[in-house]
Amino acid sequence: MKKFTIFMMLGLFIIPTLSLFAGGQKDAEIKQPEAEKKMVIRIAEQVPNLITPGAWDGQAFSLNSSIYDYLIEMDSATGELAPALATEWSSKDGKVWTFKLREGVKFHDGSAFTSKDVQFTLERTQDPDLGHLKAKDFAVVKSISTPNDYTVIITLKESLPTFQYSMTDYNVAMLSSDYDYSKLGESAPMGTGPFMLKKLIPKESALLVKNSNYWQPGLPKADELQIYFVPDIDSSVSLLEAGKVDIVPQISPLIKQRLEAGDGFKVVSPYQESRFIAMAMDREPFDDNNVRLAFKYSMDPEILAKACQGTLNKEIYYNETPIVNKLAQYKDISLRGQDIKKAKDLLAKAGYPDGLTVEFYYASDHPYGKEIAQTLKELTAPAGIVLDLKGFPRDIYLSQYWMNAPLLLTGWGVRVDPSMLLMLAYHSEGPWNESHINDPEVDDLITKIKSEVDDAQRQEYYDRLQEVFFERGTVINLQVPYLVGLSDAVQDYRQPITMLSQLKYAYIK
Amino acid sequence: MKTILLHLKNNPLAILGIMILFLWIFAALFGPALLSYNYTEMDMEHQMTTPGEYGHLLGTDALGRDVFARIIYGSRSILTVALMTSLVSSIVGILIGFTAGYFGSLVDTFFLRAMDILMAIPPLVLSMVVLGILGDSSFLSLTLIVSIAFTPATARVARGALLSCKGSEYVDAARIRGESHFIIMFVEILPNTIGPIIVEITARFAYSIMMIASLGFLGVGLQPPTPDWGMMVIENKSIIRAASWTVLYPSLAIASLVIAVSLFSDFVSKVMIHEK
Amino acid sequence: MNLFKRFSQRLGFMILTLVVMSFLIFLLVEIMPGDVAQTVLGQSATPESLAALRESMGLNDPLMVRYGHWAGKFIRGDLGESLYMRGIQINTIFWRKVGHSIILALTALIFYVPLSLFFGVFAGVKAGKLPDSIISFFGLATMALPEFVSGIILITLFAIKIPLLPITSIIPIGETLWENLNILILPALSITLVMFGYVSRMQRSSMLTVMNSDYIRAAILKGMPRGYVIFRHALKNALLPTITIIGMNMGWLFGGLIVVETLFGFPGLGSLTLSAIKTRDVPLLEASVLFITFIFVVSTFITDMMYLFLNPRIRFKGSDS
Repeated sequence: MKKFTIFMMLGLFIIPTLSLFAGGQKDAEIKQPEAEKKMVIRIAEQVPNLITPGAWDGQAFSLNSSIYDYLIEMDSATGELAPALATEWSSKDGKVWTFKLREGVKFHDGSAFTSKDVQFTLERTQDPDLGHLKAKDFAVVKSISTPNDYTVIITLKESLPTFQYSMTDYNVAMLSSDYDYSKLGESAPMGTGPFMLKKLIPKESALLVKNSNYWQPGLPKADELQIYFVPDIDSSVSLLEAGKVDIVPQISPLIKQRLEAGDGFKVVSPYQESRFIAMAMDREPFDDNNVRLAFKYSMDPEILAKACQGTLNKEIYYNETPIVNKLAQYKDISLRGQDIKKAKDLLAKAGYPDGLTVEFYYASDHPYGKEIAQTLKELTAPAGIVLDLKGFPRDIYLSQYWMNAPLLLTGWGVRVDPSMLLMLAYHSEGPWNESHINDPEVDDLITKIKSEVDDAQRQEYYDRLQEVFFERGTVINLQVPYLVGLSDAVQDYRQPITMLSQLKYAYIK
Repeated sequence: MKTILLHLKNNPLAILGIMILFLWIFAALFGPALLSYNYTEMDMEHQMTTPGEYGHLLGTDALGRDVFARIIYGSRSILTVALMTSLVSSIVGILIGFTAGYFGSLVDTFFLRAMDILMAIPPLVLSMVVLGILGDSSFLSLTLIVSIAFTPATARVARGALLSCKGSEYVDAARIRGESHFIIMFVEILPNTIGPIIVEITARFAYSIMMIASLGFLGVGLQPPTPDWGMMVIENKSIIRAASWTVLYPSLAIASLVIAVSLFSDFVSKVMIHEK
Repeated sequence: MNLFKRFSQRLGFMILTLVVMSFLIFLLVEIMPGDVAQTVLGQSATPESLAALRESMGLNDPLMVRYGHWAGKFIRGDLGESLYMRGIQINTIFWRKVGHSIILALTALIFYVPLSLFFGVFAGVKAGKLPDSIISFFGLATMALPEFVSGIILITLFAIKIPLLPITSIIPIGETLWENLNILILPALSITLVMFGYVSRMQRSSMLTVMNSDYIRAAILKGMPRGYVIFRHALKNALLPTITIIGMNMGWLFGGLIVVETLFGFPGLGSLTLSAIKTRDVPLLEASVLFITFIFVVSTFITDMMYLFLNPRIRFKGSDS
C-alpha cells in the first residue's frame, strides 16, 4: 500500500515537472535566429478537409488555392480574368477554343507542366468512377487535342461564348497526368501552386511551405502557411484575438462587428454567397404557383437578414431570382413585402384553406443553415405553412436528400458568369436543378442567354428571366456575405469572387 | 408515510431536491401557458438582449428568442423523454432480469454473460452512434435507443432483486399452488422487490437526464426548433462571449434538474433501505 | 479457485466480449440507412459509378465475408482507409488522437484521484459533521452534472471572465501536446468534477465501513492515536474498493471524453468518433467504437486482476461472485 501512495505522489509531480520541461523547450526554440526570419501566415479554417479538386465539395479554399494553380485566375481588384497557367486563350465561334500555356512551369515533384496535364485534368471530369463535380459542365467538351506541349485545343459540342470562365472554377485545378490522385490526392496533394504541402495532420492542421520554383517571380511572399482546422467559429476568433492565428475565413457579421470594435483587426468581404430556398415544382404543394407565391408573401426579408446577423441591403441581400444582387446582370425588382392575408388567400385558392405541412431539408452545420431554417419556420407559420424541419450534417444532406425534397435550403457559391449557374440549376435539364423547375420560357431564355454574343440583347433576356422568376419562379435567393477576419499585420489579402484565396500575395508586416 | 416525513425532516437536502424537482415539473406542465413568449417567437428588434431587458428575463439568443421561454419549454421534452426512458428501460430490464433470475441455470448464465458483453460499450457511445447513424432523432427513437442502452444495467439490478426473494416461502407456496411462472414472477415476487426497483428507477431518471442532455449537446438528440437544453448549449456556444447567458442558463437548468433528481433518488434509496 | 484459473477465465471472456462486440459494431454500421457508395460519391453519382464503387469496395459480398475480411485486417493492425478523407490510412491519424486522449485521461486521473481520495477520507472521518455534509453535497452536485455543463461553467470562469486558459485546444504546427499542456487543464478539470463526486462518495462510504469495523474500533479503544489508526490501518483497507471504482471507470471515462473533447475542440479519440459519425466515415467509426470498447474491456480486466491480487481474502479463500 505504501507503494501505491508513493505512486500517487509521483503522479502529482509529473504534471508540473512536464510543464517545466515544456517551457524549457520553447525557450530553446525562440533562441534560434532562423525561426524569426521565417514569415509565417496562420489560418484557422472551419472546413476540416483537403480534397482533391472535383472529388467532393466542401474544401478548405486556403489549402486548395495554395497547392494548385488554374489556367485562368481572376484579378481580385478588377474582377477581370487574368492569365495564370494559360497565357492566352481565344475562340472565334465559341466552339473551338485555343489555350496557350505558360512555358517552364514545374509541378512540386519537378515534372514539367504541359498540355498533356490539361487534357488529363479535363478528361478526368468525365471519369465515371470518380463522380466529378464538374462532370456535367464539361460534358459539352467534344474533343481535346494537344498539337504541342504548350497548346491545347478544345472543341465543344455547341457554342459557349463564356466557356473560359469555367476554367476559374475551384474544381478545375490543374493536376499532373502522371500522379496518382485517386490514391494520393488527399494525403499528398500535388500541383504547381505557390505552396507545397509539407505535413498534413487530418482534422487538425496542415503545414505548407513556399514553392521556390513558382512561375510568378517574387511570389509567394510568405515562407510558410500554417492552416488549422477549427470547427467552431467562436474558437477560431478567440485564436485570432489571442494572436495565435492571422486569418479566419467565414466569420459572421456579428463577429465582424466585434472585431472591428477591437483594435488590431480588420474584416474583408470578398464576395456574397447565395442561400437558395428551392421549392420543388414537380411535386405537391409547390407544383401550384399560388403556393409558391403564398410562401413568398409570408417572407420578411429584414427578419431573415437579422437572423443571419446582418442588415438587409447592407450585408444581406434578398431577391426571388437566381441572380445575385451585386452582379451587373441583376434587375432591380422591388420586394413584394410581407402580406400574410394575401398568402392565406393564395393558399385557399390553391386548395389549402386550412394550411399545409411540408418537409424542409437543410444542412444543419452549414453557416447560417440552422438560423435560416428556424426563421423560415417562424415566418411561414402565420400564413398556415408549417415547415417540418429536417436538418442533417452537410455531407449527409448533399448526398442523401438534396435534389430530392419538396423544400430545400442549399448554399451556393457565386458563379462569375451567371449563365453557368442558370444552365446548371434552372434549366429543366440542368444536372443540379434542385427545384425541378420546368418552364419552357425559362428554358428558352437560358438557352438564348448562353449563346447570345451581343451584350445588350443578352441583358434583355436576363431582365425578362428575372421577371419570370418573380412571377412564378421556384426560388428565394438570400445572399450572405463571405467575411474574412484578419489581423492588422496581414497585408494584401486577395480573394476574388472565384472564392479562391490568393495567399501568394499576402505577407505579414 | 409517517416515516417518510420523518426522514424528510432530517434531510434538508432532500427537501431542497424535491422542491426543485416539483418546480421543474410545474414549469413543464403549466409554465408554457404562463409565459408571455413562445419558444420560437423571434424578437428581431432585440437580438442577444442581456437578461432582464425588454421583458426578457434571461435575455434572448442570436435569433431574438427568449431564453427563459426556451428553457421552460425545454423542460417538457427533457422530463418526458427522461421519464419514458427510465420507465421503459426499467420495465424491459425487469422482464429480462426476472426471466433470467427466475429460471436460473443456463438461461441465467447466458443472460449474465450477454449483459456483461453489452455493458462493454458505454451507453453514451452506443446511443450516440445509433442516433447519429439514423439521423433526425425523434421523441420515439431517442426514448427507444437510450432505453436499450440502459437495459443491461437495469436488468442486472432487477435480477439481483429477484434473487433476493426467490427462495422465500411465499414463492414456494405459490409454486405448490401451481401458479404459472408468469404469475409468480410478476404477482408474487415483483411487489416484494418494489423497493430496490423504485430506487433503480429514480436513479435511472437522473442518468437519463444527463444522457439526453449530453446527446443533445453532441447534436444527435432532438432536432431544432425543439428547445432541447443540451442542444441550446452547443448551438449558442459560438456566441458564448457575446451572449454568455444563452449558454450559461441552459447549463444551469440542466445542473439544477439533475442535482434535484439525484438528491431525490438519494433520499428514496435511504428511505427504501431503512424501511427494510 | 486459484488465481491462474480465474485469470485465464477472465482473459477468455475478455476476448469473447471483443469478438462479439466487434461483430455487433460491424452489424450496426452495416444496417445504417443510406448507401455508403452514395455517401462517398455524393450528388454527382451515376448508377454506373455507384455500381462500380460498390464492387470495388466489396459491398456486394455476403455479410460474413465482409466481416471476416474487416476483422482479419483489423487484427493485423490495418484499420483500413478513411471514406471521407480518401487516400488516408486510418492508422496515420488514429493513434495520434488516441495518444492525445490517453494523455488527457491520465491528466484527469492525476487531478481527481488524489483530490477525491483525500476528501473522501476526510468526509469519512468526519462523518455526520459539517465538512462531511459539504463534501457530500458538492460531490453529489458535480457527479450529477454532465461533463459539458461543468465544462461550460469552467470556460465561463477561467477563459472568459478571467482569460487565463485557452477556450479551444489547438496544437501549434511543429509542436507536440507536451509543449502545450495548458490546453489539457480545462478539459481535464471538467472530467475531474464529474469523477470527483463519484470516487469521493465511494471512498467515504468504504472509509465509514472500515472505521466501524471491529478491529479499528478495538484499536482505538486500546488507546492507539486516532490519526495513526486512520492512516496506518483504516486507509489501507478503505482504498481497495475505490481502486476498483477508478479502474472500472477508465472505460467509462473514455466515453465521457467524447463530450469534453467536443466542447473544447480537443484533437482526441472522442472528437474523432463524433466527426466519423457526422461524416458517415464507416471504417473510422468502426475503429473508434471498437477501440473504446477495447479500452473498457481491458481496464475492467486489469481492475479485476488487481482487485484479486490486492485483496487477500479473495486471493487465499477464493470466492466466486
